[in-house]
Amino acid sequence: MRMLEQYKQQYLAGNIQFAIVDPNGKVLDCDQHVLPIAPGDSLPDFHPFFECITEISKGAEEEILLNCVHLPGKDSEVIADIHIHRKPEGLLVIIYDLSQHYNNYQAVAQARNESIIKEELIVLKNQELEEREKFKNTFIQNFSHELRNPLGSMLSITNLLGNTPLTSEQRQMIAFLKDSNQNLKLMLEDILSISMIATGRLALDQKVFDFHKFLELIRFTYSAKAEQKGLSFALEIDDKIPERLTGDRLRLYQVLTNLLDNALKYTEEGAIGLRISLNQRRANKVYLRFVVTDTGSGIAPESIPKVFESFSRADAPANVKGTGLGLPIVKGLLALMESEIQLHSSLGKGSEFYFDIALKYPLPSEEAAWLMESPATYTLPPWAKKGKKFKLLIVEDDEGIQTVLFKFLMDTGCFYIDLIYDGARVMEAVIQDQYDLIIMDVDLPNISGKQLTRLIRGLPMDPLKSIPILGLTARAYEQNLAGFRASGMDEVLTKPFENNTLLNTVFTLLK
Amino acid sequence: MQRSRKIVVLGHFGVGKTSLIRRFVEDTFSDNYKVSIGVHITKKVVVLNADDAVTFILWDLEGTDEMEQIRDAYLLGTHGVVFVFDVTRPSTFQNLIRDIEIVRQKIQGPPILVVGNKTDLIDLEKLEQQMLENTIPYDFLTSAKTGNEVEAVFLKLATLLNEDA
Repeated sequence: MRMLEQYKQQYLAGNIQFAIVDPNGKVLDCDQHVLPIAPGDSLPDFHPFFECITEISKGAEEEILLNCVHLPGKDSEVIADIHIHRKPEGLLVIIYDLSQHYNNYQAVAQARNESIIKEELIVLKNQELEEREKFKNTFIQNFSHELRNPLGSMLSITNLLGNTPLTSEQRQMIAFLKDSNQNLKLMLEDILSISMIATGRLALDQKVFDFHKFLELIRFTYSAKAEQKGLSFALEIDDKIPERLTGDRLRLYQVLTNLLDNALKYTEEGAIGLRISLNQRRANKVYLRFVVTDTGSGIAPESIPKVFESFSRADAPANVKGTGLGLPIVKGLLALMESEIQLHSSLGKGSEFYFDIALKYPLPSEEAAWLMESPATYTLPPWAKKGKKFKLLIVEDDEGIQTVLFKFLMDTGCFYIDLIYDGARVMEAVIQDQYDLIIMDVDLPNISGKQLTRLIRGLPMDPLKSIPILGLTARAYEQNLAGFRASGMDEVLTKPFENNTLLNTVFTLLK
Repeated sequence: MQRSRKIVVLGHFGVGKTSLIRRFVEDTFSDNYKVSIGVHITKKVVVLNADDAVTFILWDLEGTDEMEQIRDAYLLGTHGVVFVFDVTRPSTFQNLIRDIEIVRQKIQGPPILVVGNKTDLIDLEKLEQQMLENTIPYDFLTSAKTGNEVEAVFLKLATLLNEDA
């Protein structure tokens, strides 16, 4: 028993201090195991924590426990639990030195809090970056949307001007204008593509297409382009590749033309080429490798990682023009196709871009349903030539587009045309006049094209409610187009459009 | 006449309560974050005018996400509260009204000043606009790092306590 008391003294007493204090905090009696205080000392003078003694002495509580209080010890800081009991002699203050325990707890709390704060700040940083990216992409989308209307007017007016009597000098100017417009249109499409890829708004449209015919178009286009630059173009196709395949023809075309245009841009002599080989054929899929080669300037090894970044034109000579978006678009489109662009390049010798993709080959039933796409050429259908004129209503608030539409359609001699600027007047006109077709801008200022279409489709009179409606929009996203069609529009064209496409669509709807 | 007033400084962890007190008491600042556990108590005399001063006994409480968890014993005899949040971390002020309500239930009567700290890390004009838009009811926006508005918080509290006395 005595031994046990000795051990308790050894291990506990050194960590516990007892003091009796009066209501003002003056020490009446104490030991000195934890804090350097002695009878007669004032606890509030020793440390401001003990100012609470006065408050406690006034209160009704029999005892109070204050945990984890930091106090100055004999040699270093003490972290203690302070237990205060009301006693007849005054207040009994018991000080438990738990420094070791609390220091261990502090280390755990430090790690936990730091980790939580770090994680929170990472989430915030990511949110901020996402918001910036979203703002950037929305800005690009809105900006390109705004550009489409004036660009559409410029393209159409240039075409119309080209059909008027001109001097040879004026013809040259028109050719230059057309060329510039076309470049502008391509750049706009590039910017739209990259922002659509970045915002995940681009979906693949998988359809059956004639793969060999598709490559023939590329052969024809790039043989001519290469020849113009004094280069040669070689296309090699593995003849084991099936003729018809299922895939997004348009996006694959975009990938290949971006790579080939890039090859052309950076090659001053020699050749560019496209090689397509069959890696393997499994189930109903073919695994193809596409390789685009050039004998151009090549890319320095340190610049290779940069070439797929937007607006980066690694090692581009000053005379090579472009937005620097071609290769990032390729990278983004291939990612959509679950593929990845690879690059081998030697400075001064040329480059080789390649990627592997899997394309399905169609089932016999799918192949039967497949229809060859016809080129968009404009010819008046025989039934339109018999002198019958159709009555069109054009609802368009943009004066430029309105003039172009009016002049072009009137020049065909097939139409009577009414023009309305204000969407609010459409219903009145539709009810009063019997139109054969309505061409409607979907982004009208007061009432949207979708709302107007729904109103027309909701009319009780049968011939009126089924008037064909052709929507015109600058919003090229697939979900927007689907929304316009869902509202009741028969067809939607994206601005800028070719005059022939417009006329073919108009006649298709009139028939 | 000099009086002692117990001021409790509380809020979520990592908002800069200790730094705020250190700036006010010692006029120093350290970028190193050391988690406070339990309670640290310091003292500072606030001079209101030539004839009047008040001694603040500043209780720097361990930060917590749940105001309900603050030990009542720490709050006994409190004369004023400084509730601190971090302007860069929404989690420390997104439930501000509820947090203040809980503190008010625990300490009935004494004034509570709400302080958004770490303004040196953020555009002050944008922050004020953001606080206004999100109806965050703060009294001061401070930076313990630069010292901006720190003194003003405690002077305001001293004035409020003086008016109540």
